[in-house]
Amino acid sequence: MTQLSRRFLPILLILPTLYFVFMFTVRPTYKVLNDSQEYYYPSRPDRVRPTDLQLPGIEEAPRSLRGPHDVGWAYYRALFDPDTREGETFRQVMSNTTQYVLITVPISILLAFVFAVLINRPLRGIGLARMAFFYPTMLPLVSAATIWIFFFTPEYGIWNTALRFFGYHGAENWVINPNLALYSLMIVAIWKNAGYFMIFYLAGLQNLPDDVFEAADLDGANWVQKMVYVTFPLLRRTTLFVSVIAILSAFQNIDHALVMTYELATGEADLLLYEVYQQRFEFRNYGFANTLTVIMILILLTLTFTNFVLSERRGE
Amino acid sequence: MLAEQHKRIHYGQWMTNVATIVLAALWLVPIVWALVVSLRSPDDSLGPDDVWFGETITTESYEKAVDLAPFFPEWKDGHLTRSYYSNTIQFVVLTLVVQLITVTLAGFAFAHYDFFAKKLFFYFILLQMMIPTAILLVPNFVTIREFSTADFLIPKFIYYHEFNLYDTPWAVAMPYFGSAFGTFLMRQAFLEVPDELVDAGRIDGCRWYQLLWHVYLPPSRPSLVAFGLVSVSFHWNELLWPLVVTSDKARPLTMGLLRFTQLSDIGAQWSLVMAATIIIALPLLGAFLIFQRQFIRSFLHSGVK
Amino acid sequence: MYRKNLLILALLISLIVPAGLVTAQDGEKTVVEIYFPIAVDSPITEILNGYAETFEAAHPDVDVVFSFEGAYGDVKTKLLNTIEGGGDRPALAIMLATDIYDLRNADAIQSWDAYATEDYLADFAPTWMTNSYYDFDGDGEGELYGLPFQRSTVLLYYNQTMLEENGLAAPTTWEELATTAQALTTDSRWGILVPNSWPYWVFQPFAAGAGQNIVSESDVDVYFDEQGIIDALQYWLDLFQVYGATPEGVQNNWGDAPGAFTDGNAAMIVHSTGSLPGILGRAEFEVGVSALPGREGGFYTVTGGGNLYLVEGIDDATAAAAWEFVQWLTMPEQTIDWSIQTGYINTRVSGFELEAWQTYVAENPQAAQAAATIDVAVREFSVQDLGEVRNIFHAEILNVLNGAATPAEAMEAAQTGADEILSIYR
Repeated sequence: MTQLSRRFLPILLILPTLYFVFMFTVRPTYKVLNDSQEYYYPSRPDRVRPTDLQLPGIEEAPRSLRGPHDVGWAYYRALFDPDTREGETFRQVMSNTTQYVLITVPISILLAFVFAVLINRPLRGIGLARMAFFYPTMLPLVSAATIWIFFFTPEYGIWNTALRFFGYHGAENWVINPNLALYSLMIVAIWKNAGYFMIFYLAGLQNLPDDVFEAADLDGANWVQKMVYVTFPLLRRTTLFVSVIAILSAFQNIDHALVMTYELATGEADLLLYEVYQQRFEFRNYGFANTLTVIMILILLTLTFTNFVLSERRGE
Repeated sequence: MLAEQHKRIHYGQWMTNVATIVLAALWLVPIVWALVVSLRSPDDSLGPDDVWFGETITTESYEKAVDLAPFFPEWKDGHLTRSYYSNTIQFVVLTLVVQLITVTLAGFAFAHYDFFAKKLFFYFILLQMMIPTAILLVPNFVTIREFSTADFLIPKFIYYHEFNLYDTPWAVAMPYFGSAFGTFLMRQAFLEVPDELVDAGRIDGCRWYQLLWHVYLPPSRPSLVAFGLVSVSFHWNELLWPLVVTSDKARPLTMGLLRFTQLSDIGAQWSLVMAATIIIALPLLGAFLIFQRQFIRSFLHSGVK
Repeated sequence: MYRKNLLILALLISLIVPAGLVTAQDGEKTVVEIYFPIAVDSPITEILNGYAETFEAAHPDVDVVFSFEGAYGDVKTKLLNTIEGGGDRPALAIMLATDIYDLRNADAIQSWDAYATEDYLADFAPTWMTNSYYDFDGDGEGELYGLPFQRSTVLLYYNQTMLEENGLAAPTTWEELATTAQALTTDSRWGILVPNSWPYWVFQPFAAGAGQNIVSESDVDVYFDEQGIIDALQYWLDLFQVYGATPEGVQNNWGDAPGAFTDGNAAMIVHSTGSLPGILGRAEFEVGVSALPGREGGFYTVTGGGNLYLVEGIDDATAAAAWEFVQWLTMPEQTIDWSIQTGYINTRVSGFELEAWQTYVAENPQAAQAAATIDVAVREFSVQDLGEVRNIFHAEILNVLNGAATPAEAMEAAQTGADEILSIYR
């Protein structure tokens, strides 16, 4: 082999990966940023009307209702202008998504920790419990959702039966009630993810040095105190790490929304990615869908980048 | 005093055991319910106080589900018909095979060589972990369409071919062909191969591919398996992306199930829906039950970010 | 070097890509593919495939292929995606009659005007045609896009046996409907269930019953804040607030209502005619059906269901074959058979005179009553930007049911929101 080809061999080896990362991550990111500056709305007729396209900062002029029109950053201005349709939708979706993340992530992490502690004991049959907690990870989210839809059925759904047993008297149709639909999505997500996050805590627990516990034993700490004051703080790296994957997964996984909020048809429980899907493929409002995608990229980039910098600094 | 402490420990242990059993049982309710109800007859509708076992235990719901939707291929006119199962398997295997090649090669390059702008390339690939492919469904859908002619990237005189990726396993699989996670995982695994082994291989006069095949890969097999398991599980369960880029020809299992959930006029037939749910989830769940440890260990790697 | 990389890239792609290309071409026959919305569990797949076979026997050069694509919304999304993605487009699709504007605007469908003659169209009951025309080219006259096929109306199903046992008659006014429902409500049974999922459709008969439909003939006007609409919404509230005859709040979903009715857990339900065969097959009591009573009497309902659309961009031979098939499929013999087997209402007037229908209704008088409701059906909710406008309306209806707003407030908000969107067309 010549010297030259030896120098280029490693580049050749990474070329396929580079190519696909370029085609399906870098290029689309650039593209969607570009396209978000264009009004294109194919479910509207290609009919010329004097209009400002109902976007802020656009002059009224005779335009096709369908587009495409170059509108610059108008969609971004609209997002933060609650008087526009886009602004109102954006506010609703962001509020939903924030609630969804802020509730599902801590609860599933807490449950994951509890599960890990419970099954990190050398007992016979403990494998069964581990299986019980982890199997939802292997289930497609859409299957999990179909099962839970029944649980949320009013009157005889298992979830409602259980709630009533504990004295609940509120509304029962979780899936089609706009006040409850978002919570129903959260419940499914928590149930499905806790077991997955558990395994990271389990690994963390198994790597903890024994002497810490011995010291705690000598101090006469009880089991709960030990968990709260010794174990959980020791696992803060795991917690940070699990938080990041949990947040990422909360943004990306919306398959359950496709099944569960299908009958709701009000948009009041829409999560960010689901809204992107709806705007692009159902309402066919391309410009808005592209803008929402950019916002989502920005959020996730900020998140992963911060995490990356933090863990680099700690020298991991 | 010591006796009292023992008693307390005993009591505490008993409490944790109960908590474990209760929680595990709670977590199992959905799958157990799904299994039980799928064994009811499809006409046996659920109602108040009647949400578990029906009058009889029968596989009718499964038969009807298989009858209603093409879950399994059939032999017809001398060839196998398309089915949800074959579609899912096709795109899962396609993704996996290409991924195994790309991540092994890239991981090897990053672990074994020093080359121009290595770090830059590495971070470039890691971008994929920062911007998850799932959220790029809109522009990626457009890309898949653009593939109908390749001349947007490659000059026509070099390569020209008209084809259409929409509604093929290729469309579903392609965005995942390069994997930053896999590259990272394999690089880590290769880095742990002892230098003495590599040097010995060099002295024996191994070419790069021989080195990769005989020296690097054998000790790294667990990582490759882990990556494979995670990849298969992830893609088997995927819904949103296939929903966008497939129609009836390449429709995978998850989309098949989606159709079952939309029983509009007829009213909910839970046993049928649950039979379909079990049909699509069974292979993965079954494999998990058998290779529990292997799966859990693999998913532990999936967090490497 | 650049050239070299490109070459390798090209090589790589050529290895990967063309294998995705295997699309079987049926050279000799003209293939007419039809996207069909279907809830999987129904004998509908068999019926349709039977139609395809019968038709093919008479037309050996045509191959009719039904693709079952899920719910109505899925068919629309799928068709638009297939066209955008460059997939093989079908020749025909059955989609919601109300999606006409979106579909035409997106260039997904083409007009039937070149095919359908006046004689042919005269036999469709005019009520079914209220969402079939759209003046897209702006010449003042609507073009025909939707041919009625899988059509339904909203029905009131009541447990006749139960009514008789309690000495009650079928309700004929709002007042009677509410009091009857109240009288039949027990600890284990609801007097009436009105599904709250996808609520506009079951709401429209009530609105019409108060003298005010939510839409007119226009594609850019809605009438959400009219007094009649507000009264109708108040009446929905009263059903649980005043009469306690239905569960409080947003409670009933579409799928569970027929089961609750046939199991005797609900004395009356409001549901589609499409559920009729299922309900008749399962109920062990006498089932009564009618349109919804109006406020001061009279009966009202709304059209619903899907039309046959001709997909844009197919070649002439396929379009011609598709038209052949559509003509055959909408012959009274077929529409009557379809109606008998599925509960969807026959769309051809002359079909009602056929012997098959006469024999059928002699045994199932409910089917005749269901079919008769087309005479009192109003135009279904359809405007430009339907998805968005409908979401606003739905959200406000559910707000009212949840007690978050009064009917008047909610409908005013809905009107403002809808006007904001629709103003772009005016």
